[in-house]
Amino acid sequence: MVPDFLTIAEAGALIGKRELSPVELTESRLARIERLDGKLHSFIRVLREPALAAARAAEAEIMAGNYRGPLHGIPIGLKDIYETEGVPTTGHSKVLIDHVPQQDATSVRRLTGAGAIVLGKLATHEFALGGPSFDLPWPPARNPWDTSRFTGGSSSGTGAAVAAGLVLGGTGSDTGGSIRGPAAFCGLAGLKPSYGRISRAGILPLAYSLDHAGPMAWTAEDCAIMLQAMAGHDPGDPASANRPVPDYRAALSGDVKALRIGLIRHFYEDDNSADEATRQGIAAAAKVFDDLGCSVRELRLSPLAEWAACGVMIMLSEAFAIHQATLRERFGDYGEMFRDRMALAALVSAGDYVQAVRRRRELAAEFAAAMADLDLAITAAAPGEAPAIDAVGKFSTFERPMLTMPFNVTGTPAMSVCCGYSEAGLPLAFQLAGKPFEEGTVLRAAHAYEKATSWRSVRPRLEG
Amino acid sequence: MRQPEHWGDGIVKTQGMTRAEVEAALARAGLEIPEREKAEIAAAAHFVEEMAERVRSKRAMGAEPAHIFPPPGV
Repeated sequence: MVPDFLTIAEAGALIGKRELSPVELTESRLARIERLDGKLHSFIRVLREPALAAARAAEAEIMAGNYRGPLHGIPIGLKDIYETEGVPTTGHSKVLIDHVPQQDATSVRRLTGAGAIVLGKLATHEFALGGPSFDLPWPPARNPWDTSRFTGGSSSGTGAAVAAGLVLGGTGSDTGGSIRGPAAFCGLAGLKPSYGRISRAGILPLAYSLDHAGPMAWTAEDCAIMLQAMAGHDPGDPASANRPVPDYRAALSGDVKALRIGLIRHFYEDDNSADEATRQGIAAAAKVFDDLGCSVRELRLSPLAEWAACGVMIMLSEAFAIHQATLRERFGDYGEMFRDRMALAALVSAGDYVQAVRRRRELAAEFAAAMADLDLAITAAAPGEAPAIDAVGKFSTFERPMLTMPFNVTGTPAMSVCCGYSEAGLPLAFQLAGKPFEEGTVLRAAHAYEKATSWRSVRPRLEG
Repeated sequence: MRQPEHWGDGIVKTQGMTRAEVEAALARAGLEIPEREKAEIAAAAHFVEEMAERVRSKRAMGAEPAHIFPPPGV
């Protein structure tokens, strides 16, 4: 009997010792999808037969002594903006409903090359921007902690599927917070690595200069395992960084003592006011880091609205450049949330776009200077628990400055880490942000925090 | 122009686009939008105006954007 919930690290260790069959693990997840996804809608396409074939191949390889590592035989899901050879990749949109790529995205190829088993394609907000829309070919994903709640987005299906134990890990993308938002609302660990760390080749773009691919899983350790496979230079992505990929899992065991952490309190106390439970969760997290031997001090940056304005102006402009021609021809084929948000981009002038990109340089320099004598920064990942799914408005993205956007503007790594649960039993989260290409430090601190607290032992109740 | 209170310090004042100006911008972009949605977009235009105003700081002529073009092969 395969447990309902396993982390990638746990399952990988059992598979490596031949105590868990990849076929049985895959079958157990497919049965779970069959049983639970009717109310979660996290998958828009389940690849049952290809997944079972891949699991059987993995099992045969492992039995023959060819174990590839901790992702070998691990069931994962792909946000449906990651292109997959011969399998439709739709962006959760009618516009691309017939789009069948001829090759896998680079990161998909790397994950399957490491032995991961792709169970299917996961729900997303339309083209990674739209919101929880009810006028698309597939319904929006629901939060496993309470199906009347929002998953966060845009990597909504990945958030729901990992939290529900339908897959052990999944891919997300993050242009303004689309990994960290759903990770926060669904109680996961979600890492947006440095810009250029993971190839964007073969991933449907939202905004070229802000898009980041990354892993979402239950723990920081699992994110490290996935990042290890996904990271690395790719000539197919002009922004790909040609830098060595460190051993992220080994980095987890390093010491966190003496890490210097800046607490960006004004982001969530003044600029986008978080609820009391979130504030208390972050205060408690700061205390945990202090107890672990880190030093925590206040860090003050430009107001959050400055970062959000810069990021959103760039995001709207770049996304509009991608979709304008199709919006002209097929406006009604997009969901209303996506198309009306995109229409706002028509109000942005070329001059204002360039001003936003100039502002970006100033803000990135400000963050680099502020981090000169720090290793990490902490702030909120979301202002509170997940709202009701039907309370998310068409222009909600613009109503409050996004807590996650600063680190898309800087292109530096940031991670959502669960720091407890609200009175309603919904996850709360903070962000850990690091210096460029210092994902190892971010993951190490997150891992130490998870080990020092009990939050990773709590899973959503979905049955009965 | 209304500025949401929760946007924190550094309140920005904008001129405010008229409905006609919004419709002209949408038409110029080639978008054919149903009337109901057009009204909602016009009502949300202030979000873009406020953000645009924020990034229009006075800066030196030589203040470069974040994007520069690396010549191929360099």
